[in-house]
Amino acid sequence: MNKTVRDGLLFLLCFACGTLILAGIVRAAGASPVAVAAALYKGAFGSRYNLAETVIQATPLLLAGLSVALSFQCRLFNIGAEGQLVVGAMAAVAVGTGSFPPSVQLLLCLVAGAGAGALWAGIAAALKVYRGVQEVLSTLLLNFVAVQLLAYAVRGPLQETEKYLVQSDRIAIPARLLLLLPASGDMPATRLHAGVIIALVVTLFVWVYLRFTAGGFALRAVGAGAGAAELAGISVRKTLIKTFLLSGALAGLAGAIQVCGVTYFLGDRFSGGYGYTAIAVALLAHQSPGWIVVSALFFGALTAGSSSVQTAGVSPVVIQVMQAVVLLGLLAFGYLRGRTSGSNVVKAGGADA
Amino acid sequence: MSDAPVLEARKITRRFGSFTALDEVDFSVGEGEIVALLGENGAGKSTLMNLLSGLVAPTDGAIRMDGKPVRFASPTDATARGIGMVHQHFLLVPTVSVAENLLLSASRRAGGAFSYPVDAVVKEAKILAGRLGWTIPWNQLAGDLPVGTQQRVEILKALRGQTRVLIFDEPTAVLTPTETPELFATIRRLATEGRGIVFISHKLDEVLSLSERVTVLRRGKVVFEGATAKVNEAILAEAMVGKDSEAAGLLRATTSLSPRESPLSPSPFPPSEGEKGESVTRDDSLPVTPSGSPFSPSEGGKGLGDRGDDSYALQLTNVSLRHANSSRPLLDDVSFAVAPGEIYGVAGVDGNGQEELAAILSGLVRPTGGTVRVGKVEPAPYADSFRRAGVVVIPADRQARGLAMPLSITENIALGAYDDPKYRRGPVLLWGALRERADALIRGFDIRATGAGSPVRDLSGGNQQKVVIARALSSDPKVVIAVNPTRGLDVGAIAYVHNSLRRAQAAGAAVVLISTELSEVLTLATRTVAVLYEGRFTGTVAPDAPREQIGLLMGGKSHE
Repeated sequence: MNKTVRDGLLFLLCFACGTLILAGIVRAAGASPVAVAAALYKGAFGSRYNLAETVIQATPLLLAGLSVALSFQCRLFNIGAEGQLVVGAMAAVAVGTGSFPPSVQLLLCLVAGAGAGALWAGIAAALKVYRGVQEVLSTLLLNFVAVQLLAYAVRGPLQETEKYLVQSDRIAIPARLLLLLPASGDMPATRLHAGVIIALVVTLFVWVYLRFTAGGFALRAVGAGAGAAELAGISVRKTLIKTFLLSGALAGLAGAIQVCGVTYFLGDRFSGGYGYTAIAVALLAHQSPGWIVVSALFFGALTAGSSSVQTAGVSPVVIQVMQAVVLLGLLAFGYLRGRTSGSNVVKAGGADA
Repeated sequence: MSDAPVLEARKITRRFGSFTALDEVDFSVGEGEIVALLGENGAGKSTLMNLLSGLVAPTDGAIRMDGKPVRFASPTDATARGIGMVHQHFLLVPTVSVAENLLLSASRRAGGAFSYPVDAVVKEAKILAGRLGWTIPWNQLAGDLPVGTQQRVEILKALRGQTRVLIFDEPTAVLTPTETPELFATIRRLATEGRGIVFISHKLDEVLSLSERVTVLRRGKVVFEGATAKVNEAILAEAMVGKDSEAAGLLRATTSLSPRESPLSPSPFPPSEGEKGESVTRDDSLPVTPSGSPFSPSEGGKGLGDRGDDSYALQLTNVSLRHANSSRPLLDDVSFAVAPGEIYGVAGVDGNGQEELAAILSGLVRPTGGTVRVGKVEPAPYADSFRRAGVVVIPADRQARGLAMPLSITENIALGAYDDPKYRRGPVLLWGALRERADALIRGFDIRATGAGSPVRDLSGGNQQKVVIARALSSDPKVVIAVNPTRGLDVGAIAYVHNSLRRAQAAGAAVVLISTELSEVLTLATRTVAVLYEGRFTGTVAPDAPREQIGLLMGGKSHE
């Protein structure tokens, strides 16, 4: 059987099993799975406003998902998108509430966010390259540091001028991203902002970079076989550092866009776990930029629709269960695919030896 | 006992999906008999052995012991019935003692998980070792032992009092020329004790000198079965690779004729009849691959001294490598020079500095002393500088160093050309042109693959090595560093690799061949073979030097 077809069928099988398990859980919680699904669909796609909310949720997931995918393709297990996103948001707020020329303030916010994210990832990069510290550990721990840093910042240097609430000032109007779908006629205003366009353009750039440029090739080669890449004259160290910085910049940009497009200020709890969900986004899309757009939309829809499942009589927590089931299904799929193509290797090796 | 063979496979078939690994194969080994199983990589040898040792179950057909059908539920089951396996890659735990390694493999006995019957196990092993005339350092760490001794421990692991059939999987791959005859003596002694021996190999000379009967597998079928006394190398080679295949011709060219008769570098001195005759006579106790003609002339008669220093393509002067916290240097004062059009051989037993020398010659490691010159330049110790200076490497570990396994053939080819202006516009790689290059190399180097886009992981070992070689040699290199370039390959692929190296040499490259396969070094080297031992050159000899002399050098005995 054709490999692609077989993989597709296998994927559908895993998807179907996951759906059944979820239905069982919802049933056990005393609600109707069909009603929950309908409510979820309506919440995510049912109206112009809801659709816009889905896209808004998908935007940071798209950028952070690209961040994760880029590092995973280089075999760097950067699970620090969350922390990089948070420091990116802090940098954007710092610039957005400061006094800068209005014509460039937005640009400066985004650049500062990306830069801060890159810097944050750069710590893990330096630790790995010069001290051999596993990036899984360092990036994870740096997430907690970033969250504490945020807690400090909104009580200290970035706290609002009244010093009353634990949050920052709102960023200046020129630092905010354009709203794409304001109220028109009898249609209510949506929060959809120009950040989604930036994210899509960045996606295109990442795709082109990975696929067509020498730098992207070096990144993939180091990920696919560091030893072979090194012998071929590619500097593994440089590639690792570069990948870390790019990956951090993407997550930082996600944080900055979230500030400039959605929240306009920073509170104690800013991200809500976009950086972690992004890992699932990247894995579901098999680290390929095009598919990350799709999987970010999928996870975005889950988040956007989560509050509406209450109308069907279950807690929004069911959405987290759903995300977990999706991930487990994905693991099952990866495992099964590895097994089925394992026999394929024997076939190829045996047949032409 | 009955006349039925101890262990027998009848019309055994094993399929993996739609692929038939074994097709109605008959195989048997009798009491006290040494049977060789010969075949290329992928011919089905491993599958057959896995069936006989209980690792996989047959799709069809039967396994019999003493004429009665048996089913092995697991390897432990097969072991309990008296079938032992000595694996090619040792399965010893290097950080625990020999005794504990034996204990690990001992069958579980009364006392459960918390018993520690190490004394009983060693006592039993001592009896076996005593019978074989071995002294084993029972309390040393397994990882500290010489390879030959490790193999003896491995044999003791497989051998128990009741073991009736012992399977050896390519046991000589890791041994020195002096250790091999000792192993063969052991195998013969085990056979005289009445045990059946299965000896898996793709080395024809070993099969001929050791076995009584030989079975040849090709593409999952038995293509030859008969008494060893009635065959010769040519017959076996043909059976193994097929009658009309090009590989058979190549194999004959490399095994039974003088190596310097390669069509690529015609020797002005064809070997006489006498020499040809000599190359097929064998000394039963000392198996040797027929080496080059003993009167091979040094090419063109030029002595090394005739050349100015600049005429060397590669020159090492007093190169040393030592770790900061180790007293013993990994490489100690190594000097040599290689001229264009020369194949310089470096022989030696694995682990005597080959890896380190190769790393320095690839630019991966900076030597702690001495200089490396390529032509007139002294490249900085980075792989990139060496590559730009015209050095290409065929690394020992093609899966870790040679290829990025998940990437396609095109992408792996691109690893050797990504900074070539022909394939690049600014930061953008011209994948169309790279793809064309890959297609051309696939044709030119006869790489068998479904297409340039297929991942190299899906290729067979031989075809993977062809990708490595194609990438290296297609760049018109000044210096070629080849490290164990034929390890794990079948005969057809070996001949292919050898001819490729000769072609590079004929095109004017300086080739350094670092190999633990002595016959390979002796066959290919044009003028000089250096022997590495504990990081030093214990001596340099001509490729036609007597093997005993080289064996001594490999064992650390310098010229007196």
